[in-house]
Amino acid sequence: MIRHIKLAGLIVALLVIFLPSFTLAQDVNFSVSPAEVHIDNLPPGEAAEFELTIHNKDEIAHNFTIAAFQPPEEERREGRVEFPDDSWISFSSQEIEVAANSEANVTVTVAILREQQWAGGDWETWLGVTAESSDLLAVKLYVRLLVSTSGTKFNAGLVAGIVVGIVILGCGGYYYFRRKARPG
Amino acid sequence: MKAAITSIGVAIIMALIFSLPALAQESGTITITMTGVNEISISLDKTQWPLGEVAADTECMTSPPIEWCTLTVEGNCNVKTRIVGEDAEWVDNAEYKWTLSNDGANGENVYGLWFRISGDNTRGPLGDGYVPITKTQSEFWPYSGGSGSSLAPGNTKQFGLKLLTPTYFVGGRQMQTQITISAVAA
Repeated sequence: MIRHIKLAGLIVALLVIFLPSFTLAQDVNFSVSPAEVHIDNLPPGEAAEFELTIHNKDEIAHNFTIAAFQPPEEERREGRVEFPDDSWISFSSQEIEVAANSEANVTVTVAILREQQWAGGDWETWLGVTAESSDLLAVKLYVRLLVSTSGTKFNAGLVAGIVVGIVILGCGGYYYFRRKARPG
Repeated sequence: MKAAITSIGVAIIMALIFSLPALAQESGTITITMTGVNEISISLDKTQWPLGEVAADTECMTSPPIEWCTLTVEGNCNVKTRIVGEDAEWVDNAEYKWTLSNDGANGENVYGLWFRISGDNTRGPLGDGYVPITKTQSEFWPYSGGSGSSLAPGNTKQFGLKLLTPTYFVGGRQMQTQITISAVAA
C-alpha cells in the first residue's frame, strides 16, 4: 500500500502543466512595408533615413518591437556581406503601440562611421518586426535592408607607390637640373 | 639648391595630379529605394496549443497532427519562411527552464520540439517529415532540397507540431515557450 502511494506521488510529481497563458485565440494580423530597402552611394560619415510602416489589421491595439538581425549567409542577396555593426542602425522607437486597424511609422536611421575602411561596402541586414504576444506561435516579419557605401577603400600600395614616385621624380629632376646647370 | 627645390616641387605636383583622382572618394547622390510598395505579411490561424498536464518522456502531437495550423501569405510579395524556438520557462520564475534540444531529442530538463508540414513525408533527420525546431533559426518553407523557391501571396502551408517532454522535470509547474515563424521577401 505504501509502495503504491509512493508510486502515485512520483507520477504526480512528474506531471506538469504546459499551458500558454491565454485561452482565447490572440492571433495577431499585421503587415510591414516596404519589404525591401536599398540605400546606395552612402558615404562613410553620413546617414540616411527612411520610414517603415507597421499596419495592425487586428480589432485590438498591439505593441510591436523592432530590431536588427544578421541573416545567415545563404539568405543574403548575392554579393552582399554581413552588415558591420548593428549599432549603426537606430529607430525612432524600438517599441511602438499601434491602434486597432491602424498604421504607424517608424523612422530608421542608418549612420556609417567616418572611416575609410567602410567605403565601397555592399552589406545586408534584416529589420525584424514582432507583435508582443505570449502565445505559443508568434510571427516575425523581416525587412531586407541593403546598404552600399560610396568611395574606394584606402589603398596602402597606391600611397606607397605615390611616395616612391615623388622621391624618384625629385631625385631625377634634381640631377637633371644639376647636370644642366654645370658649365660646358 | 634652387634646382633641388624646383625638382621636388615639380615631382610633388606631378604625383598629385596623377594620384588625386585615384585617392578621391567617389561622390554622388545617396539613393534610397523602397522596392515598390511591397507589403510583407503572413498569418497563422492558430497560435495556441493548450496541452494540459503532461508526463515525463512523452510525445505529444497536435490534433490533427500535420494539418493543425495554416500559414497564409497575406502580403503582396513572395516570401521565404523560417522557424525558431526557445527554452520553456516556468511562468512563476524564469530561472527554472526546460532547455530546447538542438536535435529534437529529450533529456533531463531538456525538451524536444518538431514540426511537420503537410505533404512532407521524407524531410527531417528520421525521414518521416518531422524537422526539429531549435534555438537557431532554420528553414520552414521553402527548404534546401525541397521543391519551390518561395511562397507567393495567397499560398498556404499546413503544419503540425510535436513535443517531446523531458525525461525528468520538476512537476506541478506551468511552463511557457514560444515558437516564432518569420517571413522575409524572397
